[in-house]
Amino acid sequence: MSPSSGLVPPVAAQGPGRMPAAAVNAMDLRLVRRAAGALPGEHRSPGVGTGTELAQLRPYQVGDDVRMLDPAASARTGEPHVRLQVPERALTTWVLLDRSASMAFGTAERLKSDVADGVTEVIGRLAIRRGGRFALTTCGAPADRILAPKGGRAALATMRRLVGEGVAPDGFVAPDALTHGLRRVAGLARQPGLVVVVSDFREEGTGWRRALRLVATRHRVLCAEVSDPRERALPDAGTLVVIDPETGATAEVDTSSAAVRERYAAAEAARAAEVRDAVRRAGAQHVALSTDGDWLRALGRALA
Amino acid sequence: MSAPLAISLAAPHFLLLLCLIPLGACLQVMARRRRRRHAVRLPATPTLAALARRQPRWRRWLPATLLGLAVAALALALARPERTVAVPVERASVVLVIDTSRSMQATDVDPDRIEAAKRAALSFLDKVPKELRVGLVAYNDAVHTILRPTEDRDGVRLTIEALEATGGTATGDALAGALQSLRERVGDRGGRRPPAAVVLLSDGKTTDGQDPVEVARQFGRLRIPISTVALGTPDGVLPGPYGGAGGFPVPPDPVTLRRIARASGGEAFEVDEQQELKRIYERLGSRLGTKPKREEVTAGVAGAGLAFLLAGVLLTLRWRGRVA
Repeated sequence: MSPSSGLVPPVAAQGPGRMPAAAVNAMDLRLVRRAAGALPGEHRSPGVGTGTELAQLRPYQVGDDVRMLDPAASARTGEPHVRLQVPERALTTWVLLDRSASMAFGTAERLKSDVADGVTEVIGRLAIRRGGRFALTTCGAPADRILAPKGGRAALATMRRLVGEGVAPDGFVAPDALTHGLRRVAGLARQPGLVVVVSDFREEGTGWRRALRLVATRHRVLCAEVSDPRERALPDAGTLVVIDPETGATAEVDTSSAAVRERYAAAEAARAAEVRDAVRRAGAQHVALSTDGDWLRALGRALA
Repeated sequence: MSAPLAISLAAPHFLLLLCLIPLGACLQVMARRRRRRHAVRLPATPTLAALARRQPRWRRWLPATLLGLAVAALALALARPERTVAVPVERASVVLVIDTSRSMQATDVDPDRIEAAKRAALSFLDKVPKELRVGLVAYNDAVHTILRPTEDRDGVRLTIEALEATGGTATGDALAGALQSLRERVGDRGGRRPPAAVVLLSDGKTTDGQDPVEVARQFGRLRIPISTVALGTPDGVLPGPYGGAGGFPVPPDPVTLRRIARASGGEAFEVDEQQELKRIYERLGSRLGTKPKREEVTAGVAGAGLAFLLAGVLLTLRWRGRVA
C-alpha cells in the first residue's frame, strides 16, 4: 500500500492493452465551441491572454490590465493605449480519474481501472501536443492527488507514476467522491479547456449532476463511463452471494431464474440510460467504454 | 376408558429416519454459509439488493419445509402406524335387566327411579351400534317381560316406555330368565359362543326367588359379565299414602349387586341421580357392543407424505423454474 495516498494496485490488473501509436497519432483534441452569435467578432472568444504576437493597439478601457499599457503609443497620441496580444492557443486538459474500489472490477479482457489508465495515458499524450498542458486529479481515494497543469514529457512521467499507484482498497467508502472531484476541477481549472471525467458513475447520490453542469459551463467536458459486461447482465451461475467492494453489503440472488436476470438487466439498462441523459443534460459529451472490445476506437470516435 | 384413536407403531425403529430432517437442515445451513464465504465481488450490488427485496422470506423456506414434512411422513409410514378402532362385535347380545318393583316409585332420583331407569335405558339403545342385539328383561315378583336379544329396537323401545313399578324384587329369577334368553341365542350356532353381556339395574334387596349371586356364578362360568347399577340414595322413601313425607324407606342394596358383578366378571356402579345414570348407560352402550381392533393406517400416512412431496416440488417448479 502506498503510504502517501493509501492506494493499492488492483489484483489481476491486465494493463490497458495495445495502444498503437498510429491510432493515437490519428486522434486529436479540439476545443470547439459554437459561436454564441451569428456575426463573427460579436463575442470574445475564450482564451484571451498574454502571448507574443501583437493583435491590436487600442485605447485604454476600464478593466484592462495596466501592465499592458504601451508607453510609446500613449505618448504619441496623448491617450493611454493598451497593447493586446494574440492569445496563445495553449489548451489545458484536466482529467478527473475515479480511483474508487469499484473500479478494480473486470471480467472480460481487463479491469475497469485498466481502461481508465489507458484513457488517461492517451489523453495525456494528446494534451501535450502543440505546447498544451496536462493536469490530473483523482477522486474516490483515501487521499486525493492533484497534478498541477504541466506541459511536456515531464507531465506524462508524473501522470504515469500517479496512475501506477493503484486504486482504493476494498472497504473504503467515499460518498460523493465524484461530486467533490468535479467541484475541485471547477475550482482549479480557471482557463476554459477540456475536462475528461473517467469513472464508472456508480455513485449513490445525484449531486454530481449539478457539479458537472457547473464544470460544463466553462469547459468542454467529455464523460468516459467505463463499465463491464457482467455489470450489465448476469450469467446463469446458480445461487450467489454478491458483495459490494466499497460498502461490503451483501445480497443473495438466484441467478438461475431467468426472471431475476431479466429484471437485473432492465434495472441496469435504466440506470445507464439515466446516467447518459444526466450527462447530456449537463451539456457534456458522453462515451461508453467497455472492458471487452476496443476502448481506444470508441474514445477516438468520441474525440473526433 | 380406552381412547378410540390410540396410535401405535409396529416397527418403531424406522423412526430413526427422522434424524434425516435436522441433518438436511444442517446441510442447507452449511451450504448457505459456504456461499457467503465465497461471495462474488460485484459493484452492481445495490441494484441486486433492490431487486432481492421483492421476494418474501417465507418463500425461501416453504419448499424445504414441505420436503422435510414429506420425509417425516414417509419415515412414519415405514414405521407402520396402527390405529385402535372400536369395531362392533359380531352377533353380540346385551340384555337389559330392569327392576320394576314398587320401590322404584321412590322420588329420591329425579323424577322417580323408574322414570330415570327408563330414560337411561332408551339412551343406551341410542348409543349401542346397530349390529348389536339388545334384549330386555323386566321383573318384580317374577319375570313379567322377556324380549329376546334382537336388532329391532322399536319393540324394545316401546316395551321400556310401557314399564310400571309395582310388586317385589326377584332379582335371581330375572337373571335366570336373562340367561335363558341368551342361551337360546347362544344355542343357535353351536361351536364358538358369540359374546354377550347383561346390564342389571336394581334398587333393593332381593325379596323373592333364587339367590342372584348363585345365578351370577353361572354367568361367570359362561363368561357373560353382568354390569350392575345400584340406583337410589340411602334415604330414599316411597311416597306416603297421601303424597306427603314419612313413607316407607327403600334404600338400595349395593353390596349384593357388587357381589353379583364380581361373581360374573362385570363392573358395579352406584348411581343416585338421573344424569349419572344416563352417562353410565351410555358408556356401557358404547363399550359392550364393540371391541378394540388394530388396523394399519400406513397407506394414509404414505399418501400424506406423497402429497407433501408433490406440493414441495410443484412450488419449487413454480418459483424457481426447475425442480431442485
